[in-house]
Amino acid sequence: MHIPDGLIINTPSITTAIAMWIASLAFLTWSWKKAKATYSRSITTLLAISSAFVFAAQMINFPIAFGTSGHLVGGTFLAVLLGPYAAMLSMTIVLLMQAFFFADGGILAFGMNAFNMAIIGGLSFFLIKLFTRGSSGNKRFIPCIFVASWLSVMAGALVAALEISPAFAGGIMVTVPSMLFYHAIIGLGEGAITAVLISSLQRVQPAIMGGLTLLKEKTKL
Amino acid sequence: MKKNLAEIAAIMVFLVVFIPLASSSPDGLERVVETFGVEEHAPFWNGLMSDYAIAAIADPYVSTLLAGVFGTFMVLLAAFLLGKAITPKNPKALK
Repeated sequence: MHIPDGLIINTPSITTAIAMWIASLAFLTWSWKKAKATYSRSITTLLAISSAFVFAAQMINFPIAFGTSGHLVGGTFLAVLLGPYAAMLSMTIVLLMQAFFFADGGILAFGMNAFNMAIIGGLSFFLIKLFTRGSSGNKRFIPCIFVASWLSVMAGALVAALEISPAFAGGIMVTVPSMLFYHAIIGLGEGAITAVLISSLQRVQPAIMGGLTLLKEKTKL
Repeated sequence: MKKNLAEIAAIMVFLVVFIPLASSSPDGLERVVETFGVEEHAPFWNGLMSDYAIAAIADPYVSTLLAGVFGTFMVLLAAFLLGKAITPKNPKALK
């Protein structure tokens, strides 16, 4: 759901783009400060490897239906592994590289894309924390990850639909239902892939899941 | 360190295996744009390797694979630097 600059075509869309740049920068400043204050040990290696994996995974589009495809966003995946703050920063790096090197997602539109994928993805952490009562041992943990991943894609698609609506003659009346329709299906892929990845990591490399201690720590908003 | 190299190698293998299998259909947002016939403006920035392809390489698989490998390493490097930057300087201050 990377928004290209080509969709920013009139004054309302330029205004939206600038507003989303400001909103994303505010969230990123917050997550930067929280990240520096929160992590009690170095997460550098996990951060680097998981960000690189998310970049690679985003390249692989899977077909859904109606001649349409989707790919993993990975926001919830990063949020579970790294906690909300580093996840927002990590996804922003992925999006930055995509926009700069590969023109996947615009520059003017970067604030929107950062918000829709990095910020919302990172925030899905709090949903999981809430519904698992902060324990990765909870038997609802993996189902929660599935639901949170799906919701993060739907929320991102909803916000994206509002953001791109100025470019559409029909406005939000056409963008919101159509974006939600396709992303309801794409989100199932997101949920399934994220749930499988996390449950396998939990089994194969329990040490890596140390990031989950964040679930237990008091993460104040 | 050895373990990290193995993980990076695994990401490379992932790209080698999955790039040819990736769907080239438009994604959800592109489909919505096409459906409602929105005319996109020409972007002012086309990236260095637009659409994950290296212009100088004719073979689309090799071209996308190399672009993907390049991108993966750029993300790896940037995220590593980010990790260093957010790690507290004084380990004694850690819990």
